[in-house]
Amino acid sequence: MLEHDTRTTESNAPAVSRAVTVALLMVLLCLVSPSHAGGFESSWAVVESGTSEDLLTAAEYDNQIWVFGTGGTMLNSSDNGVTWQSAESPTEYDIHHSDSGFGSLLVAGDSGLVLLKQSSESDWLDISLAEVSQINDVALMGSGNIVAVGDGGAIFRYEGGIWESVPLSIQNDLNSISFYDEDFGVLVGSNGTILFSVDGGETWDYREPPEGAGEANIVAVEYYSPVRIYAITDDGSILFSRSDIVAGTDVGYVWTLIDFERHYPPGSTDYLLNPSDLDVELTSLEVLTTTKLMMTGAGGYLSISTNGGTIVSQQINPLGNDTDFNQIHMLTPFVGIAVGDDGAILWTERAGEDDQVGFAVPEYSNFGVFVDETKERFKDGFIATIKIVSFGIVLGFFLGVTLAMCKTSPLSLKNLVERFEPMQVRVAGAPILVAGLYMFKSAIPGTRGLGLEGIEYIFLPIGAPVSFARILLGIAFTFLGLLFLSNDGKFSKIKISSLNFNPWRVRPLNTIANVYTDFFRNTPLIVQFLFIHFGLDLGGAIKTPGLEYFSFEKLSQDHNFITDIFAIYDDNGTLIGGLLFNTTFISAFCALGFNSGAYQCETIRGAIQAIPSAQMEAGRSIGLTYLQTMRRVIMPQAIRICIPPMGNEMVNLVLNSSLAMIIGYAEITRQGKLIVAQTFQYAYAWGMVLISYFVVTWTLALFLRWMEERTRIPGLGITGGD
Amino acid sequence: MTELPENVLEVEDLHMIYSGGVHAVRGISFNVNEGESVAIIGSSGSGKSTVLRCINRLIEPTEGRVSLKGDQVNTPHTDVNNLRSRIGMVFQSFELFAHLKVLDNVTLGLRHVRKMSKRDAKERALSVLERVDMLDRVDAYPGNLSGGQKQRVAIARALAMHPEVLLFDEPTSALDPELIGSVLETIKGLAEEGMTMLIVTHEISFARDVADRVIYMDEGVVAEEGPSSIIENPKTERLKKFLSSLHEDDVPEQAN
Repeated sequence: MLEHDTRTTESNAPAVSRAVTVALLMVLLCLVSPSHAGGFESSWAVVESGTSEDLLTAAEYDNQIWVFGTGGTMLNSSDNGVTWQSAESPTEYDIHHSDSGFGSLLVAGDSGLVLLKQSSESDWLDISLAEVSQINDVALMGSGNIVAVGDGGAIFRYEGGIWESVPLSIQNDLNSISFYDEDFGVLVGSNGTILFSVDGGETWDYREPPEGAGEANIVAVEYYSPVRIYAITDDGSILFSRSDIVAGTDVGYVWTLIDFERHYPPGSTDYLLNPSDLDVELTSLEVLTTTKLMMTGAGGYLSISTNGGTIVSQQINPLGNDTDFNQIHMLTPFVGIAVGDDGAILWTERAGEDDQVGFAVPEYSNFGVFVDETKERFKDGFIATIKIVSFGIVLGFFLGVTLAMCKTSPLSLKNLVERFEPMQVRVAGAPILVAGLYMFKSAIPGTRGLGLEGIEYIFLPIGAPVSFARILLGIAFTFLGLLFLSNDGKFSKIKISSLNFNPWRVRPLNTIANVYTDFFRNTPLIVQFLFIHFGLDLGGAIKTPGLEYFSFEKLSQDHNFITDIFAIYDDNGTLIGGLLFNTTFISAFCALGFNSGAYQCETIRGAIQAIPSAQMEAGRSIGLTYLQTMRRVIMPQAIRICIPPMGNEMVNLVLNSSLAMIIGYAEITRQGKLIVAQTFQYAYAWGMVLISYFVVTWTLALFLRWMEERTRIPGLGITGGD
Repeated sequence: MTELPENVLEVEDLHMIYSGGVHAVRGISFNVNEGESVAIIGSSGSGKSTVLRCINRLIEPTEGRVSLKGDQVNTPHTDVNNLRSRIGMVFQSFELFAHLKVLDNVTLGLRHVRKMSKRDAKERALSVLERVDMLDRVDAYPGNLSGGQKQRVAIARALAMHPEVLLFDEPTSALDPELIGSVLETIKGLAEEGMTMLIVTHEISFARDVADRVIYMDEGVVAEEGPSSIIENPKTERLKKFLSSLHEDDVPEQAN
């Protein structure tokens, strides 16, 4: 910031480039939006499958995970899915489906292929259904008992070593089957087909699909518990059925379509409300707990819901959106795999970690875990702090310089009017006096209306700000009017007994600056924060017109990195970033800057007064104007003198920024408080906050020390250096 | 030395009463003609410096009239910055801009008052610095210069503006005796080139050598005025007394 003033004719170009650098750094700072921080980290890792065949289905059998795919591919893993080896396959047909349970592993695929493995040592038993072209799903419902389904309402039961066709009156394609135990099973298919069996699949009852799903192609079903069944359609809807104790209906009778609230875009915490479907072609469903579901789909879709499907969060997928996922298989609610086309296997040990309610609480008393769990928060808070601090410093410095210039300005009333004839001034005085008296008069109703008494009138500025302003203006105008009317061109002082006062030497700029600094230096900063944010709503007052100017309609056509500083929108017109995003941010840095400006003003004024007055005379004597001399001669020297005390002011500003938590700005102290509330680790959290502040202030101090060295010039002041 | 009759500077009945009530200048009038160098001598407190500062309005005269080639200086209606840029001033304590290098000290006014381009300003600055023999220190900061060098840079700074008159406010009184010579030589050179100058000085011998005219001020009025020969042959008692008091102080002989 200082470059602006300290450079001279010779070095204007580097000064500009340095100013640009500072500006760009601040822009970058704005573009680091906390909502993005850490969001795009996948909890899934790509593991090597050793094949490029499409992997279509997975099952868990005898402490191994098996994955099957096109061309009869069979892979298994003995270490929970981290490494994979190819298993010897008796077939070259594509394997589409698998199931395990009752000590057996079962797969099915093209050309009626059905293979059964009844112990891990035994070979695959080929029990293919030669007469069926395609089996859509198979399920084990007992040791050696199998149900297979296919297109056109085909159901086959395998019991005692032989296949039997189950007669069915409907011709719909049957897509998926799930058995809870040896007797209870559910079967879904196209055109909203839902069938239910209570006798191990020998007979099937037709169940009513939910309203709106009558035409739906239900592609997968899971009979999770005696009271809960979930199913999905290929157009992205979730169906749900549960037993209803009040109505006395068992599970499977009443089905509903789940209304979604979606996390959108992926990785964010924003919701898209009430879409009719997930807008994705779903392929499989895994129910992990009574409310936690995971789903796969085409186009790289992996998702999780922890509240029974209402809120579905798409998972970040490290393979991108080109891979279709065919099935998810979880060993535990957190550890599992997802398989997809082209040999893709993803592995996770922290699926849905973000929504850990009801699952695992990290061990916060372990410092490593604590840091790991809270570092995002700290980072957000750190960036937020740096943001208000840097904006506060710039605003404060600007205000400080301006106010200091006002305070040292020699411009007096005499200077203002001396170029006019006394008569002209007297003529101008009359209307000013009238205006002043009118101001008083017009202030009366507003003041009276408050019903204040006696000392209570000190609160007038809040009760009737307009009246108060009128009174102030009235005083000023009456004073000016009387003074102008008395002007005789001599500008002499008034003597009232021993009082010696020259009204012509009143310096208006100085007076205004004094009122400002007196106000901000004589009130507590924390109250200023509260008043500016909640009382004046300064953030809102800036945001609303700001957003009118940087509206979505304007920016969607024509936005660039400059407008991105102020407002960033997503495709739906929701404001997601920029300076105008956050009203507390605007209020916080304004309050901080206003306050710091009042203090910096005094520091800079002191430095200006330390410059010999002859420097001003020298500047004026070569014809520079007052402002030019200030800018080119006085300020460059004054700024150098005031760098050390300014360092104090800026460190104070950093430390004072912690008070912004009172208005809910998420800077690092507030984050510390939130972390304590979550983890109860007082020493860790507040210690880390302390260190973070130290890092900021120490860096700032080093920077200022460096600046002091760099700008030092021979012969100006006693520096102790050379 | 060519002497044109034209009045460059005209001071009429100048009064200055400081806000404390001190009546420092009590009605002074004199002229400075084109190409003329005029020295104002007098004891401390006689109002010499006040007169000088009134001329370019660094202090506002209480009464009277100062004009530069017919343009009145002490009126609110004039463009005082423009007038000041036409009046060069050299200060007793140099008042170089400590944060600027020698060259930038000289170009500052050219760039920001005369609005010259960087190159032209540098060119003119180098030429005036050459004239005061400071060409080898253009990249030095004032803090690294000796007193005599600083004063020569200050003269260059004033000269660069091509002033119509140059005011010297005791240009050598802050200098060590051995440094005075170079500064006086420079001023002398200017006088020979026909620069119009008004010099407030304590260097009586210098005033005698350089000045075409000498004004002796005492207690805010002109006590004696005349060609520089009045120093040799003072007419009034007051000047005689002043000169003899200087000799008692053993002022160094005329510097060469």
